[in-house]
Amino acid sequence: MITFDKVTKKFPLGNTALNDVSFEIDDNQFVFLVGQSGAGKTTILKMITQEIIPSSGSIIVDDFDVTDKNFSQIIDLRRKIGIIFQDFKVLVDKNIFENVAVSLKVIGADQSEIKTEVKKALELVGLSKKEFVFPIQLSAGELQRVAIARAIIGDRDIIIADEPTGNLDPKTSWDIMKIFKKLEGKKTIIIATHNTDIVNSFQKRVLVLKEGKIVKDQRKGGYEL
Amino acid sequence: MKDIWTSIRRTPYQSLSAFLILFFTLFLTLILFVSLTFLYGSLNYLETKPQVTVYFQNKTPENNIFKVREELMNSGKVSNIKYTNKNEAFNIYKQDNKDNPLLLEMVSADILPPSLDIYAKKPIYLPEIAEYLKKQGDIDEVQYEKDTIDKLLVLTNTIRISALIFFSYLILMSIVVLTTMILFKIALKESEITLLRLIGATNFYIRKPYILESLFLGFTASLLSFGIFSSIVLYFHSFLQSYLKGITALSIDVFNYSLVIWPLNYIFFAIVFISISLFGAIISSVASYIATNKYLKV
Repeated sequence: MITFDKVTKKFPLGNTALNDVSFEIDDNQFVFLVGQSGAGKTTILKMITQEIIPSSGSIIVDDFDVTDKNFSQIIDLRRKIGIIFQDFKVLVDKNIFENVAVSLKVIGADQSEIKTEVKKALELVGLSKKEFVFPIQLSAGELQRVAIARAIIGDRDIIIADEPTGNLDPKTSWDIMKIFKKLEGKKTIIIATHNTDIVNSFQKRVLVLKEGKIVKDQRKGGYEL
Repeated sequence: MKDIWTSIRRTPYQSLSAFLILFFTLFLTLILFVSLTFLYGSLNYLETKPQVTVYFQNKTPENNIFKVREELMNSGKVSNIKYTNKNEAFNIYKQDNKDNPLLLEMVSADILPPSLDIYAKKPIYLPEIAEYLKKQGDIDEVQYEKDTIDKLLVLTNTIRISALIFFSYLILMSIVVLTTMILFKIALKESEITLLRLIGATNFYIRKPYILESLFLGFTASLLSFGIFSSIVLYFHSFLQSYLKGITALSIDVFNYSLVIWPLNYIFFAIVFISISLFGAIISSVASYIATNKYLKV
């Protein structure tokens, strides 16, 4: 479970990214964070991984209090979270297998486990025939699939995706969202997006952000810009 | 090993610069280290020779000589004193001139003076001991190796201080250059490091490839420095043999162990190699630690 309780984030120059935000996300729930650019979506995602620490309020992620500035278990927390970025962040000098395997290597998994799990993840995202291909040879949609495979591997219970379809054409975006659909109910999924078509068609929980505040929380919601 | 080689291949100029600076530092360190070792060995060798020899007048009663010996031993500044009476002096003379019968005929035990060979605990006591002896009666002559020991002491101290300053500069320069080289490499992989941090990599996991590569470069540079240095030493071995003719052994004390440095031997070479490899490893590890630290703030 993820709990935000009266979380506020003010940056040193004075702008407020989040203002008194509270919400709870249950285990294995599928949630869209929507809102215009600058509404605070990315700030929320970065707070879950403790890249950003709130100015006030508390954030609990699976019993970890991530607002503690001296939080020493940050590595344990981050090993529970798979992250998908808009710009994919794939390692250009490693092949697809190695790109996905890095998620397991950092936690010290053995070679046989890595081999099995990577193959499974690549199969799930439809890249099982491209494991020894390098990123430069892949399309944007395929690169995002690599990033998803990397995020879901290794018992990561929470998947957060920051504009995962932001750089993709509509057809590829739908293909990517189908992969998230396959994970529904197995992992907690939080997707920050402003793609109205996708949000409306999924009919999942939607948290709407505006100027750093949650203005709507719909259990089976849609979204309008 | 494969990862190290891949990293070197991808940034060959940075790796070459790091290697060359390490080689330069380690090679100079090796020369200074061995030079200092030989100087200390020579100093130790000279200290095993009689440092002050005092010749008494021919008619000096032995009791007077023994009294001087006892006072010197009680001074706390002398480690050993060897007494040579007239007959022993004559035997030594005979031994030294056994090939020259004419010289043997001209000299008898009566004309050779009794003497004391004095070994000081520290070379700085030598002038004091010589002055004390000159003030005694019955003394014919006081000889001591003041100039040689003084020169060696001054030389050793000068080299030690210069080497310390030079070493510090070399270490600082190497660490700064190596850190910069590693930072270049890290800058090329900054997004990878950011990703690794976010997916839960430990600091050691992120540091490991850079440390391993630095250690590899450090070890290779040590090996090359040692190889070149050993070749030079072996090439000039015959020259060293003639230069150090008459000196059977030079040694230095390392943690209560007497390490023989001359004649050249495998143990000495092994210790030099281990020392220089460790030094190379420490420099390269420190540099990679400093460089990676910048990117590891979670």
